[in-house]
Amino acid sequence: MNLTRVRAVIKRHWLILFRSPHRWFEIAFWPLMDVILWGSLGYFIAQENEASRASVPYLLAGLVLFWTLTQVQMTGSTAFMEETWTRNLLNVLTTSVKPIEYLAGIGFFGLIKLVMTLVTLTIATIALYGFDLSAIGWSVIPIIGLLIANGWAVALIVVGLILRYGQSAEILTWGLNYVVLAVSGVFFPIEALPAALHGFASILPTTLAFAAARQVLDGGEVPWSSLGLATLGTVAFLALSAWFGAAMLSVFRSRGFITRYS
Amino acid sequence: MRAMHPVPAVLRAQGLVKAFKGRVAVDQLDLTLAAGDRVGLLGPNGAGKTTTLLMILGAIKPDSGTIDLAGHHLPHRRSKAMEQVGFVAGYLPLPENLTVREALSLFAGFAGIRNPQPSVDRAIAEFGLEELADQRNQELSSGQRTLVSIAKATLHQPRLLVLDEPTASLDPDIAGRVRSSLLDLHRRNNTALLVTSHNMREVEALCERVVLMSAGRIVADGSPAEIATQFDVDDLEGAFLKVAADLRGPR
Repeated sequence: MNLTRVRAVIKRHWLILFRSPHRWFEIAFWPLMDVILWGSLGYFIAQENEASRASVPYLLAGLVLFWTLTQVQMTGSTAFMEETWTRNLLNVLTTSVKPIEYLAGIGFFGLIKLVMTLVTLTIATIALYGFDLSAIGWSVIPIIGLLIANGWAVALIVVGLILRYGQSAEILTWGLNYVVLAVSGVFFPIEALPAALHGFASILPTTLAFAAARQVLDGGEVPWSSLGLATLGTVAFLALSAWFGAAMLSVFRSRGFITRYS
Repeated sequence: MRAMHPVPAVLRAQGLVKAFKGRVAVDQLDLTLAAGDRVGLLGPNGAGKTTTLLMILGAIKPDSGTIDLAGHHLPHRRSKAMEQVGFVAGYLPLPENLTVREALSLFAGFAGIRNPQPSVDRAIAEFGLEELADQRNQELSSGQRTLVSIAKATLHQPRLLVLDEPTASLDPDIAGRVRSSLLDLHRRNNTALLVTSHNMREVEALCERVVLMSAGRIVADGSPAEIATQFDVDDLEGAFLKVAADLRGPR
């Protein structure tokens, strides 16, 4: 892997972000709106029923962790989509940048945007609701790590689908996040889901990560065995996504789909 | 047909075949370019020129055949090969919201140049882009953008520059300047040029050898004069028109 080329990919997307004020919405504005929405809902529930666990810390912890996965995933997917929107894909494909270098670049750029988003979320949750995610303690680090890796895996699937099906697959950039949001128990234990979804939800590594965060917030021990299982699931998911992305790139090259973007 | 080039070749494509949904776009194409060759790839619309270029660049995978580019076998050594190859397409935009200098610096990074500044300064000087260096790409005219695209593709001083319709939609004055820049580049660095164009005069001015394609196959390969003789016409344009007429069939 050539780090100069990886740096160039990061710089390319940093410059796009830096020069496009509307792109700061996903770092500053939407996270802030989410904090207000979910924080106020938690505040209201706590007022109505003091015994409820679905209060401010529960919802805001879920929100901050969900943004972790979302930001990494969306940055990876939209960075690639940016190349298709601006018809720059052929320019990139005809340089010496390898697919793995490009992915490393947008993956690292996702981490940069994630740090900025977490700063927004942390300031907003502390200032508006007095909630600090660090209340979970050090165990938040492996949980965040798992969600980042899952975000990358989802992004790889989205990129693969766009390579195969073109711009019609772009909707999945946002759509797949809502699947994760709905079935991973971001804000509630998965037992609250319709019974038919329990089996599927329980095998998702993201479900285990969100459940671990709630358990620690409730004052319980860090469920290391559960996090270990989530790690195994995440490694498998990443490997599967990487294989899928590589297979779709091969189809893209075999069928000459680059002509869609030139 | 022309005799095989002696080694070392910057490009050796053999037996390339590509079909899309059963329609053959390129059929058993052999193409070899030696260092410093200036070759025009011509043919009517749908002849398979762009598909050929995209296979050579590794963006499209051939159904069969082999490609050795700058001494590296594709597709496995594509990245290494592209360190010695540049690509310019008249229809491709440059990244918006970046100045010319920023865009060049970015592409120098894509080419793996660790310290891009000297390469960017050299390219700006060689292509006379000093006054444009701090302008944003979207503020440039078509001709200026083409020059920047060529500069972008030569930052890493490639052995082969592949150009797809480089002067399409440019006025004759600007197109002439682009051609001069390409010939200067060739003279300075002995860069091989592989050019597609629909402008026969441009190909005659730029290329010493012409490969004429029709329906995915090479139908002639030689100097512009040799091609004209082969088709029993006065010039390259006459040969091109004859090939296009043959493709359409009798009316």
